[in-house]
Amino acid sequence: MELLELSDNNLFLLSLAAVAFPLLSFLIVLFGKKNSGPAFPILNLSVSFIISLSVFLAVWNATPVHPQVEWFTLGTKVYKAGILLNNLSVLMMLLVSGISLLVHIYSISYMKGDGNIHKYWAYLGLFCFSMMGLVITDSLLLLYMFWELVGFSSYLLIGFWFTKEAASQAAKKAFIMNRIGDLGFLTGIMIIYTQFGTFDLVALFDSGGLVDSSSIIDSMWISSHSQMPVVWLSTAGLAFFIGAIAKSAQFPLHTWLPDAMEGPTSVSSLIHAATMVAAGVFLLGRVYPLFDSISLNVITIIGVLTAFMAATIAMTQNDIKRILAYSTISQLGFMVAAMGIGAYGESLFHLTTHAFFKCLLFLAAGAVIHQLHHYKEHHQLEFDHQDIRLMGGLRKQMPLAFLTMSVSAAALAGLPLTSGFLSKDALLISSFEWAQGYHGFKKLVPYILTLTSWLTVFYIARLIIKVFLGKSRFEGISEVPSAMSTVLIVLACCSFFLLFSINPFSFESSWVLRGFSSAGVKRFENMHLTVPAIVNIISIVIILVAFKLYRKGEAKAFSDRGFLYRFSNNAWYFDNAYNLLFVSSLERLSHLSSRFDILIIDGLVNLIARLMNMLSGISDWFDRNIVDGLVNGIAAFAGKAGKFSRLFQNGKLQHYLITMVSLVITFFIITYFI
Amino acid sequence: MIPISHFMLISAALFCIGLYAVLTKRNAIQVLIGIEFMINAAVLNFVALGRLDKFAGGGQMFALFAIVLAAAGVAVALAIILNVYKHFRTINPAKIDTLKD
Repeated sequence: MELLELSDNNLFLLSLAAVAFPLLSFLIVLFGKKNSGPAFPILNLSVSFIISLSVFLAVWNATPVHPQVEWFTLGTKVYKAGILLNNLSVLMMLLVSGISLLVHIYSISYMKGDGNIHKYWAYLGLFCFSMMGLVITDSLLLLYMFWELVGFSSYLLIGFWFTKEAASQAAKKAFIMNRIGDLGFLTGIMIIYTQFGTFDLVALFDSGGLVDSSSIIDSMWISSHSQMPVVWLSTAGLAFFIGAIAKSAQFPLHTWLPDAMEGPTSVSSLIHAATMVAAGVFLLGRVYPLFDSISLNVITIIGVLTAFMAATIAMTQNDIKRILAYSTISQLGFMVAAMGIGAYGESLFHLTTHAFFKCLLFLAAGAVIHQLHHYKEHHQLEFDHQDIRLMGGLRKQMPLAFLTMSVSAAALAGLPLTSGFLSKDALLISSFEWAQGYHGFKKLVPYILTLTSWLTVFYIARLIIKVFLGKSRFEGISEVPSAMSTVLIVLACCSFFLLFSINPFSFESSWVLRGFSSAGVKRFENMHLTVPAIVNIISIVIILVAFKLYRKGEAKAFSDRGFLYRFSNNAWYFDNAYNLLFVSSLERLSHLSSRFDILIIDGLVNLIARLMNMLSGISDWFDRNIVDGLVNGIAAFAGKAGKFSRLFQNGKLQHYLITMVSLVITFFIITYFI
Repeated sequence: MIPISHFMLISAALFCIGLYAVLTKRNAIQVLIGIEFMINAAVLNFVALGRLDKFAGGGQMFALFAIVLAAAGVAVALAIILNVYKHFRTINPAKIDTLKD
């Protein structure tokens, strides 16, 4: 597939340029004129996208390119930094720049008239820059830096409408949750560095690399550099996974993602589709050789649990963006679970298809929100323009949004002819195949995943029916602006099978999947037919059921009072539990320490101050009365004595004589009588 | 025979009277008289204690000598008092206090 002949050096420069253009956009827009408009950032992103495309064409399925330069030297050890272009990174590069470009174009209309629009463009640039840097860097240390940058820029973007209390809270929450993951990532890096003495991803994780060639003898993990107990191998794997948990919003650190919906919808789309949450899965892909069976089991369990949990939560949410957010969490759970069962290629394939249709879902939802918001402002009404219970019948006013969103919903549900069909079936089939070789709870994994995919069908059908079908409630809502609709159409085209595979029913002919070698699992031929067939027949039944349930618009599928409903509607009480466990206990602790501070520490300080005051009062008194008194007393005594002795010097002879005589008499008295 | 202590008492009384006069009188002449009293107390002592002297007449000799000296002293003192009177227009010793400063 070498369409372009580029030397390694050119590739190096090109990829650097692809990363640098968004940064340029960030710097120039942020420090440039305030009303410079969207042209410049979009131009930058387009260049970046075109470069990414050419790099992609040159590197895909060719030998990986790995140029390095010396970064810094500590002692005699030279640390190198460079870029690693292999299938994974060029695919991600293309995805990131492509989706970002589309979101940029979409934002022209969506963010029109916002007062801080130049900051918005700048932050988007920073976000793309950090994500592009993250995918192409070859050093764990640089990866970590970009990882942090992604976290930081997502913080800026989620809190973009920072005057809204909820938005700034959500931004903080996202940031804090991600910090927990960063801690895990950092721990992983430290363990890896201690064991292997290098940050180089290629040297570490390439086949035949350091991780591959390290061995376990007598429960010691031995590499050519050093050795440590084998428990650290699992710990390292789990530490990296914690990083991925936070970034990819997996259980139990997923709660930031639904709250991150407070940001502009275009940002949510960007975060959910290609940039932030994909970073976690990407990280798992990068360090994949590190995971031992314990880590893989944990990854599988967390992934399956997350997928199932988020899907059940999504069923009862009423905020259009929250449904999509939980849907993203659920789909990420699928990807993570796929990583856990060794379906590395399937996971990345799903990541790729998901990027497109989830981006589309969000952008279409954003279009609906946008139009409703304008409608609301125009008629000066007061209602929640994100609540799907208030929507309905929008298909007539917004046929394009309806069509594109239906396509993406079908892709999410995994209906035939869509890209989601390919990747989801790839995932499900490989999970069934994997489970054949195991017993116990591992047997359950594919069934839970299948159940989750049916739940997915249900909630997305509910969303579409509630928003677009039924009676129309609004008059005079217009179709979305052209900049938005172009993007929607492009993404809708990308949600069909054609982009990924020529045969709509065979995921194995997909070029993405063939680009990644998966762990070989015994192939069960009959599953490739039965699993998609059963899954899809039941999916269609579910869609019909949902249609029957929700067509009237008013109907509720579940009783509001049922425990399961409340459990799901309150997102499994995770926020409440975290509030109870961490927030309120922390608050109590801080109250306690504040009281301690005020009572004990301040009291002590005040006491000491008062004591010192008293002491200084005493010493003041002592100084005034005793010391000064002594000096004054001596002076006064000297004065008195002088005055007294002056009395004798009065010049009168007889007085002198009296003195003399009395002295003599005194002398004699003393001498003879005492 | 009169015991020596009687002489001594008389002499002490004389001395004290003289001293009192010297210290209290407001007239220089009277002060001079007081001095004479004191000298004579000493002379009386000389004469009385001369009895105990092995060398006969020593005390009397000394008394004569002292009387002559006292007379000479009085002469000088009177001359001074005269000059003092010329200078201060008074012979009250309490008013003559230029000795201070």
